[in-house]
Amino acid sequence: MKYTEKKVSVPLCAVSTTPGLVNKTGSWKFAEPLFIDRVSPCNQQCPAGEDITGYMYLASQERFEEAWKLITEENPFPAIMGRVCFHTCEEQCNRKDHDEAVSIHTVERFIGDYGLSHGLKIDVTEPEKDKKIAVVGAGPGGLSAAFHLRKRGYRVTIFDRDQKPGGLMRYGIPAYRLPKDILDAEINRLSEMGIEFKMGVTIGRDITWDALNTQFDAIFVALGAYEETGLRIEGLNKQGIFEALRFLREINLGKKPKIGKSMAVIGGGNSAIDCARVSRRLGAEVTVVYRRGEEEMPAHPEEIEMAKEEGVEFLFLAAPKEVYGQDGISGIKLEKMALGEVDDSGRRRPVPTGETFDIDCDGMILAIGEGTRVDDLPPSISHKKGVVETDQMGQTTESTLFAGGDIIDIRHTVTHAIGSGKRAAIAIDRSLEGLKGEGKNLDQFKWGDKGNISVGRMKGITLFLRRNPSLEVIDYKDMNPFYFDHRPRIKIDMIPAKKRLSGFQELITSPSEQEAVSEARRCFICGSCTECGNCYIFCPDSAIKSDPGGYGYIPDMDYCKGCGICVTECPRGAMKMKFME
Amino acid sequence: MRKVLTGNVAVAYGAMLSDVQVVAAYPITPQTTIIEELATMEAEGLVDMDYIRVESEHSAMAACIGASMGGARAFTATSGQGLFLMHEMLHYATGARTPVVLANVNRAAAAPWSIWSDQTDSVSQRETGWIQLYCEGNQEVLDTTIMAFKIAESLRLPAMIVLDAFFLSHTSEPIDIPDKDAVRDFLPPFDPGDLWLDPNNPRTFGGITMNDAYMEFRWQIQRDMEKAKAVINEVHEEFAKVFGRKYHQVEAYQAEDADVVMAVSGTVASTSRDAIDLLREKGQQVGMVKLKTLRPFPREEIIEALKGKKKVAIIDRNFSPGATGIWAQEIRSALYELPEGDRPLIYGYIAGLGGRDISVKVIESIYQKTLKDDRPDDVDMWIGVNYV
Repeated sequence: MKYTEKKVSVPLCAVSTTPGLVNKTGSWKFAEPLFIDRVSPCNQQCPAGEDITGYMYLASQERFEEAWKLITEENPFPAIMGRVCFHTCEEQCNRKDHDEAVSIHTVERFIGDYGLSHGLKIDVTEPEKDKKIAVVGAGPGGLSAAFHLRKRGYRVTIFDRDQKPGGLMRYGIPAYRLPKDILDAEINRLSEMGIEFKMGVTIGRDITWDALNTQFDAIFVALGAYEETGLRIEGLNKQGIFEALRFLREINLGKKPKIGKSMAVIGGGNSAIDCARVSRRLGAEVTVVYRRGEEEMPAHPEEIEMAKEEGVEFLFLAAPKEVYGQDGISGIKLEKMALGEVDDSGRRRPVPTGETFDIDCDGMILAIGEGTRVDDLPPSISHKKGVVETDQMGQTTESTLFAGGDIIDIRHTVTHAIGSGKRAAIAIDRSLEGLKGEGKNLDQFKWGDKGNISVGRMKGITLFLRRNPSLEVIDYKDMNPFYFDHRPRIKIDMIPAKKRLSGFQELITSPSEQEAVSEARRCFICGSCTECGNCYIFCPDSAIKSDPGGYGYIPDMDYCKGCGICVTECPRGAMKMKFME
Repeated sequence: MRKVLTGNVAVAYGAMLSDVQVVAAYPITPQTTIIEELATMEAEGLVDMDYIRVESEHSAMAACIGASMGGARAFTATSGQGLFLMHEMLHYATGARTPVVLANVNRAAAAPWSIWSDQTDSVSQRETGWIQLYCEGNQEVLDTTIMAFKIAESLRLPAMIVLDAFFLSHTSEPIDIPDKDAVRDFLPPFDPGDLWLDPNNPRTFGGITMNDAYMEFRWQIQRDMEKAKAVINEVHEEFAKVFGRKYHQVEAYQAEDADVVMAVSGTVASTSRDAIDLLREKGQQVGMVKLKTLRPFPREEIIEALKGKKKVAIIDRNFSPGATGIWAQEIRSALYELPEGDRPLIYGYIAGLGGRDISVKVIESIYQKTLKDDRPDDVDMWIGVNYV
């Protein structure tokens, strides 16, 4: 008989007759894998509490509108942020331990511009409330508080003594860093949401604080810090001496202050750098004089670098002692400084050496620092050395009075102000809704122990299925970098230094869509499950199953032996092992 | 559509047109351009597949077996040392009944290192249970790649396409590229039936099997290899109907009235056609049989083709040390069952090892020697060795 005509009683290949499911290997385990959504260090770092990993994930998939909506859950100004925020998130980026940090601000800028060019709007979906809130100060802190309160349905009125809203974003930051049309367009969205702007009104003069208190259910105060810190030296009454914020204000109002040909800018902060770079654009030779070293400068290193490219000179370890000149300034006597012990700010303290020298100059800008003008504050508010005392959420000792921005104890940046406005909005909402005693519960909505509160977390936005949101912050060492290639950070296109000095046009060119997506794809999306499927693929027991809920995976504890392979192979640390009791 | 393609690119086209789903491969000369081309095709969206980079050929085959067990159409390509390293997994693929398709670009064995053509790598896998399909030209390479999936999947046996290094792999010819929809009709998606790794019904495959059942599994492999002879012919027939090109396990050329019949495989067949044409012009009664399948060995067809011939000259571009060339062994063994009067004399020649050219001249000299000698000098005769 031929082969083809015969039969055997076994199948084509050896296969078990009993399904493997009868062998519940899960009974062997003493540890089990846990899907956990950890906080990325950038999210924790963000003073505004943005979901950076979230919008990077969306941008990487070219879902720009959703990315924009996710940012604007936390921050009303993505296009402004992408330009002026000093992106400390990037200093914390886990990718810096892999190759180079993700250029988060470049992606944010693209998303912000996308929102503007596509006319994206903020929807007020909450029902209208009849409670009224006054926001005093139309800087980033006030605008942020107004934005978040309006989104919650409150009737919000913003008061500001200036003619246009924006505060230091308008009157401090030069146009080459933040073009006015971008600023106007982003603020305009707030008017469209139904926020009322009452400009040119000074509270305490045009309307009393008491009157405001009776008209509104709560007040948020964010007056900003615009009182220039004085210098106690001889000769400051001479012509040609400017204060930084006043100087920048003139510039931003479109005026051209008569500055000298050879300018000295005193100070090492961002205002000093702004003043120096503006002076270069007005045609002056500029030297920044700073009493500590370059390492100790509070100004952002990128700004310092750009200032150097533009020909700004730096004189470190020098402090002014006296201003020379008849009517106008002709020079400064400087004292050489040395670096001493580390002070409260974490930087080495400047110590006078007694040795002096002179420099020639025909103009000087003082950019030593700004403080709150305490006379402008509501009389009932409590403050110490010009810093308004609040709790973590921005509530002052007066129950209806909240404060934020540069007048409270936070770093003086646009982003910190925006973050403080958001916190205060949440606090005002909870206070008016009678939830005051439950403030502690808000901790669970923070991006980590040190992070800001996330509105997205409060609302339960499940962009990824953050089934087990934790406050744990994910570190590079808890990830599996094998799954990430090495790819350099995007190179930012900038106008060449020589061309920049001819005017105030924006320096940095916006990234293309392709560049933004490519950079977003560099993001590890630390700590969140992106459904990469590694756990599913690697599980030797087929114990990782697709979540019937529709997103991600779940372990089947009947069969999970607790080997931990899934946790090891999870690229982004969205899993961990838990020892069983 | 006609394009000028190398043999390697033709393989890639074949796999792409076959809607291959998983490619796991490791580069090795002269195969590398196959998997490079496939990677490009994947990147350009011409084929929707998973491309798995692995650290060795052993893993490449292991991954292909896994993919095939998961119900996917899996493909890999290799050469020479790579195929040797795969050897263990080649046996496994057969036993697991996974219809993986592999393109092997014939490369001589080391040491000494050689990257040039010789069949020792593929003939060394004779006992692994893989169907082996040798190709003469680039059109045959492309067509055979498509047919290999159909043959392998209908039998649940793995199949190897074999092509000569450089003579085909890196030489361009005008090729007719079949229409993708027509290929889809010809080759439906792989249906693993009940035998696949279903995550929802996990079962153990290939677990330890006692001596009460092992032989039965092996017997089925043999049974299906025997079936394969008919299946291959059916597939050749169907392919010819759709695409107009007919292939044979044993193809006779000018053999009917020939006194001497050459038995050849691979690119030697195309050179032999020229040599035979030239010899025929000079009035010589010479023909050839081209063998496409080494496994299953077309025993019946070769008997039919050579029965009653006087002399058969077999050219082996391979050899088994201590024995003879592999094709010679196979043909001798098949013809033994013929009665003495019908049984031709066998002249076994070893030629072209390590890529040495088997030119028209070499084939003519083999013919002349076979014609002249009443009996072969030896069990095999080495052509072109530079003795001192």
